[in-house]
Amino acid sequence: MVQKKLREKAKELLSKKEVDLIIGFGEGSQPLRATPVFVRTPEEADRLVWNSFCENNLATYLHKFNRFKVGIVVKGCDARSVTALALEKRFKPEQIVLIGIPCQRMIDRKKLKKAVKGEIVKVREEGDKIIVSAEDGEVVLRRDDFLYPLCKACTHRNPVQETLLVGDRVEEAALTGPNPEAREFEKKSPEERWAFFEKETDRCIRCYACREACPMCYCTECFVDSSNPKWIEKSLSPSDLQFYHIVRAYHQTGRCTNCGACERACPMDIRLTYLTQKLNQEVEELFQFETGVDPGALPPLSTYKADDPQEFIK
Amino acid sequence: MKFEPLKLNKNEFQSFLKELAKDHDLFAPVRLAEGVSVYRRIDSTDEIDLDAFNPQKPLKELFFPQSEAMLRFEKVENRHRVTSADQIKKPRVVLGARACDIQAVSILDDVFLGKEYTDVYFLKKRQSTTLIAFACNSPLSTCFCASTGGGPFDRKGSDLFFIDLGESYLVEPLTDKGKALTQSTLFVKASQHDIAFASELEKKAVQKTDASLPMEGIEKKLDQLMESRFWDRVHEKCIGCGVCTFLCPTCHCFDIVDEAVNEQGQRVRNWDTCLSSLYSLETSGHNPRPSGRERTRQRVMHKFNYFPKNFKKIACVGCGRCIIYCPVNFDIRQVIQDAQKGEVSKNP
Amino acid sequence: MKNPYLPIPMVVKKACVETSDRMLRTLELGFENEEDEKAFQFIPGQFCELSLFGKGEAPFGIASSPTEKGTLKFTINKAGVVTTALHQVEEGTPIGIRGPLGNGYPIERFEGKNILVIGGGFAFTTLRSLIVYLLQPQNRSKVKDITVIYGARMPGLLLYKQELEAWTKTNDLKLVVTVDAGDKDWKGKVGLVPNVLEEVAPASENTYAVICGPPVMIKFTFPKLEALKFPYERIYTSLEKRMKCGIGKCGRCNIGHLYVCKDGPVFSYDQLAILPKDY
Repeated sequence: MVQKKLREKAKELLSKKEVDLIIGFGEGSQPLRATPVFVRTPEEADRLVWNSFCENNLATYLHKFNRFKVGIVVKGCDARSVTALALEKRFKPEQIVLIGIPCQRMIDRKKLKKAVKGEIVKVREEGDKIIVSAEDGEVVLRRDDFLYPLCKACTHRNPVQETLLVGDRVEEAALTGPNPEAREFEKKSPEERWAFFEKETDRCIRCYACREACPMCYCTECFVDSSNPKWIEKSLSPSDLQFYHIVRAYHQTGRCTNCGACERACPMDIRLTYLTQKLNQEVEELFQFETGVDPGALPPLSTYKADDPQEFIK
Repeated sequence: MKFEPLKLNKNEFQSFLKELAKDHDLFAPVRLAEGVSVYRRIDSTDEIDLDAFNPQKPLKELFFPQSEAMLRFEKVENRHRVTSADQIKKPRVVLGARACDIQAVSILDDVFLGKEYTDVYFLKKRQSTTLIAFACNSPLSTCFCASTGGGPFDRKGSDLFFIDLGESYLVEPLTDKGKALTQSTLFVKASQHDIAFASELEKKAVQKTDASLPMEGIEKKLDQLMESRFWDRVHEKCIGCGVCTFLCPTCHCFDIVDEAVNEQGQRVRNWDTCLSSLYSLETSGHNPRPSGRERTRQRVMHKFNYFPKNFKKIACVGCGRCIIYCPVNFDIRQVIQDAQKGEVSKNP
Repeated sequence: MKNPYLPIPMVVKKACVETSDRMLRTLELGFENEEDEKAFQFIPGQFCELSLFGKGEAPFGIASSPTEKGTLKFTINKAGVVTTALHQVEEGTPIGIRGPLGNGYPIERFEGKNILVIGGGFAFTTLRSLIVYLLQPQNRSKVKDITVIYGARMPGLLLYKQELEAWTKTNDLKLVVTVDAGDKDWKGKVGLVPNVLEEVAPASENTYAVICGPPVMIKFTFPKLEALKFPYERIYTSLEKRMKCGIGKCGRCNIGHLYVCKDGPVFSYDQLAILPKDY
């Protein structure tokens, strides 16, 4: 079992003092949740769990611990974030030990909640089934129906980097490009797409959960907080909300790994990944670049080449 | 109870609302997306999301809006003409408020309606609002209102109390303000059977809520932990966003900014969060709360130690929103339990 | 019902730069309306939120004394958006204030006692208010000896040079002005405030000390006060913290359960001893 191997690996790293601490997932305080844990002794390693609710991108904690030698549990997407951050010199690569887990794809807990009447009090996974206990008793659901859309379209479920791999490699999907939902969305007219974006961002409450959950957002002063020059007001006017999300998405271009942490963190269920997915797709098409796959490839929007494509300049 | 309980059939509910809407602005949970609702002014009675258990954004929004223009100003002949935007045009009725959120508004009264300075914006909204509460028949596992001096059927602070009996509502007028809304012939006297059934529902609901959280003596316990290494471990997973503070019905920190062009515009107050790294940052560059450790400590201490020192009550109503919506599952119940023990437990 | 967020309309009567680095500027404000002037009663140590519509608000200690009628003085350090704008206002500019806010110095406690005032740099603003207030004959007779120690990094950075000049000539107080480093024209004392305090060695018996200055000065001066046997309950300071509403509602300036705007900014050290070091 992956969880058992994970704990063993963690114990080994900690007792040999190869790392100061391990950032991983622990049991959540409610069903459908796992929570980040920071394990410092071999005994504490038993707190580590692995399940389909380990949805956070733990790379966001590396900024806090960049003076330590850190072991970090990563899925395919998270591992790519670590590579991208290393390229941006947020820490020295030797400081990080990647504990990679080939990802079984994460379950969309919000979708699961909506599919069942009443509160879910227990959940367990059995192969391709999810068995959920709620108000009307036990319900058996197909796991495949409740995966996060980005997970369904993922082509990097195995961490591509040198990692201490825990668990067996999985077969990568043959899918290329965006998931079916995104493909459908692309068929809409610009007016329809704008109306969607407007409706989604309208309920934003400027909590910045998306920004804080994202490992690539680490600016000490974010553009929204700048008062001189003041780019954006702090209230809830629709234009400010749209501005915030558009600019944040652009700041992610060429850096985002489609991990979905932003959307999962949002308390208002705003579908943020439509934007980031599209931008990542464009980067792939224009620059043949995918974030965090090649540890030597610099992000295209931070570098300049004389033969950069420029057909869009008319 | 000074008024007799009444009954309203569910198929008369819309008519009741239409009657109310003649002289009042109605506010109720409105669905913005599946599973997401907020309190908003409703224009049509079909906008109400009665399935919404507890809207993400709490009731405090109707008295202390997330973004509120306080003053409007413009320059006229080298002076400023300033108007205060505190007028309420029509009396307001709020429907579907839960006991926890109502208890929270009473806590905010201590903050905004102080003896020395009165926040006129909050006051005017408070004075012009009648609160219609809905009892919680099915509390969630994250509801710990019973541990914070409240409960799913707690009637404190509401003017009118609705209990869902299935086909109808049992309606308890609790104040003169509430009674005044029940003059319509749509209301009939509640039967003994209705009252007994409501009582059963109350018992079941109270049993379901978590009354086990050890709140006794938490203020003193936290005094001892002020400089402790306890906070080193507690704060670790917090990513410093604002979800818990914005969705918390008792959090009241705000920022004041001017939005203007050429000295014409408005002075606006917006919700702010003590968990932001910029919250206490001074222009000199000095930050008294430089890391998540100090900021998480501030949040917990404010709710369970500082506020009680000033007002003799904890600033938490057990609504559970911070637990449900935290992106990293930071659980305040765990922090309280650990604080009582004086150390962070090794199990999450 | 008075709206506590509504500023009192004022107008800039005078503006002058205080220091050689041009970072400190004193504004003298007059009231637009007579009834506002009559209603404005304050004690030294209190502050006001200065409001510039379109830019925002910022808190400043009142530098003038309640005994100086007609106008209010504030000294502004240029640091951010609002203060930079305040450095650009001219005579005649409309400006707003909200106040008086805060608790002020414990004047009643000072009766019959000696007063030691220690100031550093541009934290001297409310101390000016206190000293001018105490020097007024009616108030002067209520307290015993007044000793003032005021230091700045350089002679050019001393505030209120005219007042300092006048105070050296009076017997009503003992004034010791010092600088960290002199210049070719400086004929006064050269030395750090903590060392000067040690030198002057005022008696702590029956004396209240009020100390305002940058954190580094307080850090080194405080042990000297302790060495002179000043008890915590007779050492007062005025704290600064980032503020917004100024009336204890926005939550920003708290130190433990106390708000710097409402329960302070003046605190005694025995009060601070039991509060978290959140400042």
